[in-house]
Amino acid sequence: MKLSFFTKNAKLLFLLLFVFSAFFASAQAQKTVSGVVISSDDNLPLPGASIVLKGTSIGTMTNIDGEFSFEVPVDATTIEISYVGYEKVEVELTGQPLYISLNVLANSLDEFVVVGYGTQKITKVSGSVSVVGKKEIENLHPVRTEEALQGMASGVNVISSGSPGATPTVLIRGIPSYTGTNPLVVIDGVTQTLEDLNALNPADIESMNVLKDAALTAIYGVSGGNGVIVVKTKSGDRNVKTSFTYSSSYGIQQVTKTIDVLNASEYAAILNEASVAAGGNLIFPNLNALGLGTNWQEEVFQEAPISSNNITASGGSENSSFFLSAGYLAQDGVVGGGDKSYFNRANLTANFNTSLSDKLTFILNTSYANIAGKSLSENNIGSVLSNALNFDPTVSPYAPDGSFGVSSTITQEIKNPLALINDTYNLGKTNKLFGKLELQYDVLDNFKITSRFGYTYVDVYGKNFNPLVWYGDGHNSTTAHQDLSPIVTVDPVSGDETSTHNRISESNTNYFSFTYEMYGNYNFNINQTHFFETIAGFSIGKNTGSNITANAQDVPYNSWEYADVSSATGDAESQTAGSWQYESRNLSYFGRVNYDYLEKYLFSFTGRVDGSTSFGQNNKFAFFPSASLGWVASSEEFFNFPAISYLKFRGSYGAVGNDNINPQYARISTFPKYTFDGNIVSGSTLQSIPNYDVTWENQIQFNAGFDIRLFSDKITLNADYFVKTVNDLLFNPTLSLYLGTPEYPSSNIGKTKSSGIDLSVSYADTFGQDLKLNTSVNFTTSTNVVEEINNGDKFIWGAGYGIPYTLLTRFEEGYSPGYFYGYKTDGIFQNQAEVDAHAYQTGAQPGDIRYVDINHDGTINDSDRTKIGDPFPDFTIGWSLTLNYKNFDFNVFTYASIGGDIYRAYERNLNYTNRYAGILDRWTGEGTSDTEPRVTFIDSNNNRRASDYYVEDGSFAKIKNIQVGYTLPNALIERAGFDHLRIYAQVKNAFTFTNYSGYDPEISSGVLDTGIDRGSYPQPRVWLVGLSVKF
Amino acid sequence: MKIVKHISIFIALLFIASACTKYVDFDPKENYEITADVYFNAAADYEAAVVGAYDPLQWMYLDILIGDIASDNSFSGGESATDVIGLQHIDDMVHNPNNDNLTSIWKWLYEGVNRTNYLVENKDKLDFDTKEALYGEVYFLRAYYYFELVKFFGDVVLVTDHRLTASDSKTLQRVPKSEVYAQIETDLLNAISVLPSAQSQKGRVTKFAAQALLGKVYLFQDKFSDAATTLENVIGVYSLVDNYGDQFLRAGENGPESVFEVQFTNTSNWWDWGYTPQGTEGNFGVIHNGPRAFSGPVYASGWSFNIPTQDLVDSYEAGDSRKDATILDIVAFADATGATYAEGYKHTGYYNNKYIPRAGESGAQTELNYLTNYRSIRYADVLLMAAEAFNRSGLDDGKAQDYLNQVRARAFGDEDHKILLTGSALTEAIWAERNFELAMEGHRFFDLVRTGQAAAKISGFVSGKNEVFPIPQQEIDISGLTQNVGY
Repeated sequence: MKLSFFTKNAKLLFLLLFVFSAFFASAQAQKTVSGVVISSDDNLPLPGASIVLKGTSIGTMTNIDGEFSFEVPVDATTIEISYVGYEKVEVELTGQPLYISLNVLANSLDEFVVVGYGTQKITKVSGSVSVVGKKEIENLHPVRTEEALQGMASGVNVISSGSPGATPTVLIRGIPSYTGTNPLVVIDGVTQTLEDLNALNPADIESMNVLKDAALTAIYGVSGGNGVIVVKTKSGDRNVKTSFTYSSSYGIQQVTKTIDVLNASEYAAILNEASVAAGGNLIFPNLNALGLGTNWQEEVFQEAPISSNNITASGGSENSSFFLSAGYLAQDGVVGGGDKSYFNRANLTANFNTSLSDKLTFILNTSYANIAGKSLSENNIGSVLSNALNFDPTVSPYAPDGSFGVSSTITQEIKNPLALINDTYNLGKTNKLFGKLELQYDVLDNFKITSRFGYTYVDVYGKNFNPLVWYGDGHNSTTAHQDLSPIVTVDPVSGDETSTHNRISESNTNYFSFTYEMYGNYNFNINQTHFFETIAGFSIGKNTGSNITANAQDVPYNSWEYADVSSATGDAESQTAGSWQYESRNLSYFGRVNYDYLEKYLFSFTGRVDGSTSFGQNNKFAFFPSASLGWVASSEEFFNFPAISYLKFRGSYGAVGNDNINPQYARISTFPKYTFDGNIVSGSTLQSIPNYDVTWENQIQFNAGFDIRLFSDKITLNADYFVKTVNDLLFNPTLSLYLGTPEYPSSNIGKTKSSGIDLSVSYADTFGQDLKLNTSVNFTTSTNVVEEINNGDKFIWGAGYGIPYTLLTRFEEGYSPGYFYGYKTDGIFQNQAEVDAHAYQTGAQPGDIRYVDINHDGTINDSDRTKIGDPFPDFTIGWSLTLNYKNFDFNVFTYASIGGDIYRAYERNLNYTNRYAGILDRWTGEGTSDTEPRVTFIDSNNNRRASDYYVEDGSFAKIKNIQVGYTLPNALIERAGFDHLRIYAQVKNAFTFTNYSGYDPEISSGVLDTGIDRGSYPQPRVWLVGLSVKF
Repeated sequence: MKIVKHISIFIALLFIASACTKYVDFDPKENYEITADVYFNAAADYEAAVVGAYDPLQWMYLDILIGDIASDNSFSGGESATDVIGLQHIDDMVHNPNNDNLTSIWKWLYEGVNRTNYLVENKDKLDFDTKEALYGEVYFLRAYYYFELVKFFGDVVLVTDHRLTASDSKTLQRVPKSEVYAQIETDLLNAISVLPSAQSQKGRVTKFAAQALLGKVYLFQDKFSDAATTLENVIGVYSLVDNYGDQFLRAGENGPESVFEVQFTNTSNWWDWGYTPQGTEGNFGVIHNGPRAFSGPVYASGWSFNIPTQDLVDSYEAGDSRKDATILDIVAFADATGATYAEGYKHTGYYNNKYIPRAGESGAQTELNYLTNYRSIRYADVLLMAAEAFNRSGLDDGKAQDYLNQVRARAFGDEDHKILLTGSALTEAIWAERNFELAMEGHRFFDLVRTGQAAAKISGFVSGKNEVFPIPQQEIDISGLTQNVGY
């Protein structure tokens, strides 16, 4: 057994040293040197650190409390202290007990990285991996773990929303598919999903690695195509005393920017002009009294608190170790405030590991999360922000009687946003339990069998209450009189009464998934020169989900306090229920061989066979192989560049999959209904048509890269170039419309190609004794092209916006995924002659937008639409800088995303809704504007059609994090019983530099819905103070 | 040798695991899904599939709106010139093949056709007592959908034996509309031979409904004698209600004048805009016709589409009770009741009073759930069709006058407004009467085209082109169908 082997050797070493020092003791005059060695990272003692008198072999090791004491010659002046993974230091002897703090070595070559089904020494890895450590995560204080990947891991693009708890879009190395781009998440060996990261307490994370190329992801086979995020949570060390940590932070979130829309006077003037242009009368004959009116954005934005508290305990005895953690995070929304929008998360984690015998180890990881939240509608035309941007600025927030102000002219969709906030009632509660039970059996020192059962159980409860509401008489969302009594009408002929109702809906959803895996790791070498690490195993798993929803109406008193299906008094007919369920299962075999020749020549081969219930009957199993090569050039004898301390070249090639298909069968739907005798009767129809040949998307990935370390490891650089191709992209073929409206099966008929470069450079140095600098830059770029779609249309539509719904994004052959599709503008028609000279454009008049006749057929119509923008950045850069000076630390993190476009889509464009202030520069006569069209109530030219008029450059640079911390001197805190106490102040999202006119250029709700700003929730600036304590 | 033992245990375990590849087979029953291969093994399955075949009747609100908007009866309206642009283009007779609304009509009608064909395909799987009569409904529905397709698009794709699947995509071409008409006639004759005269459930097709539709189909082909004989079967079976306007109220639904009525209800609790009109059991057309930003008694707020023109209003004779029943004069109504409203695009001051949101007649998401049935074939329509058939066939102008004057007597409440013309003058009178009687019910445009009056009455109408609407461009691109002339 390894452990005992090392212990034995250590004992032997001690003995030798003892004898050795005893020998010298007799020969020379001696003095005693003693002290304690701690890690600067967490101020915890480092047991087993080596202490050597400089220039001699006299030395010792620290004990379990990090203490050491040994005899040296009286004339000795300097000792050297070293510890694996830490910077080596020299310390002058002072005669006093020494207090030595070691710094963690950035990107240590001795580091092991967690890969699929095991760990690998970083120098032996020939695939492509990005590593984010706990230090980075601690610096950022993310609410969701993915935030820590943004700009910190090269090759990863994260686009976040500001909405509390929202899942961001995470893309690892481009967009090879339009469905299922979420990477696989593996937490402590257990496969989970990106959504599951919402339940993980970032403070529990030890490391987060992103596996990027086929060499590393092929072991996850059909699930590995979008990359893999491997999370390792913290665990205790054996033979250390229990240490506790407590950290707490409190912050205020604020919105830093409002969108420039018309104020009341401007609004009135524009409306007057628009009405007159359409041959109508002045709407506001007197503009004088209007003033600025109501700024609805200021009404809905609030400063909102965010706080986080975590306590952990970790330690271990000879045979076992543990890590316990409890955390609570509370984040209120900046839109509408904490009554209506918040995200609260409580976490409990217990990680436990014990030796049942000297060959058998048992590991039990258990995490529980409780998440509660309320939310307001966002990034759609019905959202609070969209209403704030569109609502009438001449209306007061409240009427004199205290009720919400209403507009007499805006009577559909758009309403007083304060009333909308008031009328939104919902609640979501999630309870989640996940973890693993694992047995490791050391058959031999170098042969281990692991048997692991991982599970996730989630229970989600949701409640939604639609009260009776009043937004003014005649508003089409109004369901009550102003006193909120229901509107009751009597049929004049039959005398039947009909009433409006409030509605309540409750739903319960359960998810359960497990994976059982068993695998063996067998490592051996031949003549201490040929080293092999092998692994083989199998995995079976199951995912299930089920839901029950109940709806009822007539909640007593129209009140949230009583809002529950059980209290609703509506009749039986109004009570409805629904349910759904699914189950999928998979069975897989996997294996890997890693070979290295003296860590100089590296080779690995990985294969996985996946079987899944999702696959078509004719394609039940898939095989995913990959291979990689590496060459550590700096280990060659002929390699003689002193500046280069390490140089490795890597290359890999392999196949991985994308598991985004559904079971295939001809489904009879019982949804169709008809009404006979006034009663609804259920019918049926053939709903879906199967394709038994359908198969997973098979990605071929190529990766080439190198790792280099310069000037005594002060500078490290990792660079990778990748190409991913998918030849059998899953698509719903566009079939003849005369087939009607059933769901037609997906076919493997598309082809995409993504390529790009990931770069990360870091520089670490120490200036003098006290100033340490650590900086790194991550660069990510990818080019994505849809090469082929054999569905007839050669494209599919993605997302759109507005009312009427206008489709905007496309996934189309020859273009990048999710690009904006619409008309190209060519200025404004200045006069009738220009209108006449241009291609025929229905309804165009002077002052209207001139659209480009793309196909030169003399008419502007749908066929003239083309690419008008691309929401995805050309490249992203993250730059992190950390400075430590004595007890002070300082960290700045900047993230930039360059080249993405944003489509401004929050305008409702009713005649009476408010407008973007750009309209103030409108065309009012020849020569007045060549960018902003005239205003008119009769927009016969349809200036509001999807066009590049609405497209803006969404490039931005954000200073995501500024943090200053101070660690109190030990002398001060030891008396209070603390090992470590740090206080800090932090600003998140401190500054955003962008030309985009909206709140926040980071907008995404999925690959084909990126960059459309429908009033999207901005990421707030957060002012935080916090402390962390260890004792 | 211990290692050998361990390795062999390990390998054995792998084999055990590989034995259970059945683990990844999927049975749809696990998710309680009914599949096609087990369906049609009980009469109830057939009955359910027939209900499913009725369902697309409820999606046809656009067909009905266009029937008047495309004609001289009404303007598109809406909020602005870009509100439902497909309807705006049709109103202005500038519609082109890229028209989302026409695409929907095409697709939804073919879903109707396919649902009936799915029943035809499975007809022989099981025998049960009520099967033949049930298939009468199926044939009627298929005829109804094809007739709508022919009216809108002329020559269309014709399939009658099976539900189309992916392999039928891009394989079919349009056939001359005469062939489609022949199939419609066959279906209706088959339906007539098996359908009962009365059904226990209101809303189900009867033999008379099939005869009325067949008469109409003949009329559209100028087969006047056939139309006369067929429609004659329906005469006297139904009666005209005393007060013309009552039949468009809730209490007048499925009344004595109703020959075939598409059924709706406000009880489906439908909230989902995304799957409308397919999901709701309410009439989605009604909200379109509602007065904009309305607040007041009787009516409810709507989207101000399909607004009657001044010409239509002016066309009515004094004393014709149908004028006020057909058209709501919102200005006068507001003056009388204190109601308020906003003016929409192309505002005329009038609304379609037959299909209009009435207060309290919807449920759940109000816009989606109006209970108003669509009176597809009224007895008055049958009388006027019969009158036209007898007149234009030359069979019996006396009979034609009689039927015409029954309609007029009810409209004016007296016998003083009889028309006693003959020949083509009578024809003209019947055509005019059709619009007084049927305006704003979705018939006008197709009547004008059928009778050759469209070019004269509809501004912007191009003869030889606008008689039919363009085949959706998407369908042409995918399936390679030919386009109608002029588009």
